[in-house]
Amino acid sequence: MTENSQAVNDEPERMDRAWIVDGCDTLPKLFLRKSIERGDQIAMREKDFGIWQAYSWNDYRTRAFEIAHGLLALGLQKSDVVSIQSEDCKEWVFADIGIMLAGGVVNGVYPTYRANQVSYTLNDSRCRFLFVEDEEQLDKYLDVESELPNIDKVIVFDWKGLRGLKHEKVIPIERLYTLGQEYGRDKDGLIESIVDRGRAGDLALLIYTSGTTGKPKGSMIPHRFLMFQSTIAVDFEQTSSDEILTYLPLCHVAERIFSICLPITYGGIINFAESPETVARDFQELSPTFVFAVPRVWEKFYSRVSTAMSEATWVGKKIYKLGLKISARRANKLIAGVQPGFFDVLLFKCANALVFKNIKQLLGLDRARMLFTGAAPISRSLLKWYLTMGLQITEAYGQTETGIVTMTRQKPLRQGTIGEPIPNVDVKLSDEGEILIRHDYIFDGYLNQPEKTRETIVNGWVHTGDVGEIDENGQYKITDRLKDIIITAGGKNVTPSLFENEFKFSPYVSDAIVIGDKRKYLTCLVMIDKDNVEHFAQMHSIPFTDYRSLCSRPEIVELIESELKTVNAQFSPVEQVKKVRLIDVLLTPEDEELTPTMIEEMYGR
Amino acid sequence: MTSPLLELRNVETYYGPIMAIRGVSLTVNEGEIVAVLGANGAGKTTLLKTACGALDCRKGQVIFAGKEIQCRDPDWVARQGISHVPEGREVFPFLSVSENLMMGAYTRNDHEQISADLETVFEYFPILKNIRGRMAAYLSGGQQQMLAIGRGFMARPKLLLLDEPSLGLSPTLVSEIFEIVIRLNREQNISILLVEQNANVALQVSARGYVMEVGGMVMDDDSATLLESDDIKEFYLGKKDEGARGLRRWKKKKTWR
Repeated sequence: MTENSQAVNDEPERMDRAWIVDGCDTLPKLFLRKSIERGDQIAMREKDFGIWQAYSWNDYRTRAFEIAHGLLALGLQKSDVVSIQSEDCKEWVFADIGIMLAGGVVNGVYPTYRANQVSYTLNDSRCRFLFVEDEEQLDKYLDVESELPNIDKVIVFDWKGLRGLKHEKVIPIERLYTLGQEYGRDKDGLIESIVDRGRAGDLALLIYTSGTTGKPKGSMIPHRFLMFQSTIAVDFEQTSSDEILTYLPLCHVAERIFSICLPITYGGIINFAESPETVARDFQELSPTFVFAVPRVWEKFYSRVSTAMSEATWVGKKIYKLGLKISARRANKLIAGVQPGFFDVLLFKCANALVFKNIKQLLGLDRARMLFTGAAPISRSLLKWYLTMGLQITEAYGQTETGIVTMTRQKPLRQGTIGEPIPNVDVKLSDEGEILIRHDYIFDGYLNQPEKTRETIVNGWVHTGDVGEIDENGQYKITDRLKDIIITAGGKNVTPSLFENEFKFSPYVSDAIVIGDKRKYLTCLVMIDKDNVEHFAQMHSIPFTDYRSLCSRPEIVELIESELKTVNAQFSPVEQVKKVRLIDVLLTPEDEELTPTMIEEMYGR
Repeated sequence: MTSPLLELRNVETYYGPIMAIRGVSLTVNEGEIVAVLGANGAGKTTLLKTACGALDCRKGQVIFAGKEIQCRDPDWVARQGISHVPEGREVFPFLSVSENLMMGAYTRNDHEQISADLETVFEYFPILKNIRGRMAAYLSGGQQQMLAIGRGFMARPKLLLLDEPSLGLSPTLVSEIFEIVIRLNREQNISILLVEQNANVALQVSARGYVMEVGGMVMDDDSATLLESDDIKEFYLGKKDEGARGLRRWKKKKTWR
C-alpha cells in the first residue's frame, strides 16, 4: 500500500492535523473507548427469522475483535486493503470495525456491481481479503477469480447453499470467528497496541465513486476525515435512545457517517433493514427517530401518500386538503423566517391531530425528530410538503472527497438552500461559480490516479463540480453540476437540475433528465413512476400489459405532458421544456445506463 | 386491424377482500392461439374464469365479438361462443363419454349438426370413439383431457379457453393433445386462449404470449421473442447459465424485458 499513497503534498502541515473526539484521533481508538463505556447498552438490531434481535456494544466489540484477530492470523499487514461486498447487515459493521482495529483499510463494494466491476475495484485497490455477503456475491468473485491473484481469502457471511463447497480460499465467517478466538487467546493487548499506534493521517477507507466518465476513482479517506465527520452534529444531538434505520449502502460515505460514525460518537441504535425491498415496511415497523434519506426516498413517501389520498373517500380527501391548507400558514411563516403566531400553530396542531399524525404513522415517521436529506438535490415543494406536516428536513451537502460540509440549521429555517458551512470548513465560489471547499480533513486523493487528484484539489481547495450561489443570508445554493449545464442552440445557459427536481416532485415521474445541448429547445427524458402510473391507468381504464405498453399509451403520454405543463409554468420560457419522451425500459441498478439517482431508486422502495 | 375477438380491459377480480387480478388487459384475435404463462397463484385461472363469466370482475371490461360480457351468467357467455375447458378436466364422472360430450352441446338444439360434430370429435380423438360407452371416471388422465376438450368443442365455440391441458400428462400425451389443439385452431377456426405452466410447449404452439405475475401482466410479446427472452429462459424454461461453481441456487432479479 505504501507506494500507493500519493498524498497531496502541497500542504505538508495538513497531513499532521488531527481531529480529536474525546481524546481520540482515530475511529478505532474512539470505538474501543466508547464500546467499553457503553458495555451492555444496545448498539444495533437486526432481524433474524422475522424477529428483531439486539446486539450490545460488548457484542459489537467482541465480534470486531474476533474478525481483527482472525485477519491477523491470516496474515493481514498494516494498511492492507480488505473489501466488503454485501448489503447492509451486522456482519458488514463488525467486519468494518474489525478491519480497522487490525490496521487494515476498508473498501466497500456495492452488492449491485457486476463481476467485471468487482474485478476492477479489487485489482485497483490491491485488495487482499474479501468479505462477501452470500452465495450470489461469492459467485461474482468466482467468475473473475483468475484475474484476482492478490486475494488471499474470501470470507462469506451467509454460508447457505454453499455446504460442500471445496475451495481453499473461501471460508465462512464462523470459521474466521473461531480462528480469531484461537489466535487472540494468548494475545491480550495486541489489538489495543495496534490501535494505539494508529495515526490521524493513516488511511481508513477507500471509497470508489463511479463518475459518469472514465474509470471509477478510489478516494483515499484518512482517519481524521472520519473523526471530523463523526461530530458533524452542529446544532442538534444524537443520543443513545435514538433509533436509526440503516438501509442505504454502507459503501456510500453518507450512510457510513450516519450509521457508523455518528453512532460510535453519540450512541444511537442502528437497525438494519431486512432488504432493499422491505424498506418501507421497516420504516413503519421501527419508526426511527433519526432519519437520513436521499431525495428519492422522500419522493417515494410523498407518492405513497398522494396515491393513498386519491383512493380515499370524499371526506378523507377534503380533510387532507383542508389540513394542508390551514397548516400552510405556519409553514410559510417558518420559511419566511418569521415566528408563527399562536393561531397558526393552533391550526397546525388541529390538522396534525386530525390527519398528519395518521399519515406520519403510515410512513413510519411519527417518532422522527431529526430528518436529513442529502446526496442529491431535492425539490423545494417537497420540503415544504413535509414542513407543512410538521416534519422539518435538514439538508446536508457534501461529497466523498470532503464529507458533509454544509448543512441547513434548525433556526432560522432556510429551505431550498444547502445551508451554511459547518465549523472549520471554508466554502467559496470560483469565477465560474463552482463551489470550492477547503478544510483540514479532506480526502488524500484518488488511488493510482494522481492526475485526477491534481484536477480536483487545487491549492488546497476541492473542486466539487457543482455550480452554486450564495444568498444575502450567507446560505449556499446549488444550481447544478458544472458539466450538466446546457447551452442551447440559442446560446442560453440553462441549469437542468432545478427543472428535473421540480418535475420529479410529480407522483407520476420517478426520474427526469433534461437534454438540449446545442439544440433549439429542451427535451426531457422521463422515467415514469411505475406504481403510480399503473394505478392511474387502472383508475381511468387505460388498458396496458407490461411497462413498455404502459409507456406507449397516448393517455399516459398526455398525463406526463400535463404534468410537464404544470412544471413549465414555474419557469421562464428559455428554461421550459418543450417535449417529453418516456423511457420505456424499466432500468435497474444492474444496468449500464444507471444514474446515481437510480441507485437511490433501488434502495428507496 | 379488425377489432379483437376477445378483449380484456383493466380487469380486476377479487376473492372476497383479496385482489386476485390487479388490472389485466389482454387481447385474442380471430383465429389466434394466445398463451398466458405464470407461476402458481399468478391469477391465470382466475383470468379464464373471469373471461367465461364464472367469476365476476369488480372493475374493467370483458369484450367478446364487440359485446361487453363481463359479469354475465356463465351459460349466457357460453351461448355467445366461449367454451371453457377447466383445469383438472372436470369431466362428469358418472356419465359416459358420449353423455359427457353431449353435455357440451347442452345449449344447442340443431340436432343434425350436433351428431355431425360428435363425429368430428371422434375424428380428432379416435380413442374416445372406442370407449364412448364407458363411464368417464374410469378414463385415464389423457383420455379425460381429450374428453374435456371434446366437450368444449361440442358447444361449437368461437373461442376455446384451455386451462392447463398438459397438467399431469406424460410428454408424449402432451404433444399429442397439443397437435390436436393446433388442428382445432386451424381446421375449425377456433381461437384459443391457453393458460399453461409448461412454457416451452405453450410458446411453441401459440402466436403470442403473456406473462402474469402476482395478478398483473409483466410481459407480452410474440411467442418467438418470448422464447428468446432471458427471464423466460431462466424462470420458465429452467435454462441457467452455469457459473464458475456449477449450478447456482440464487436467482437473479427478474426484469421482464
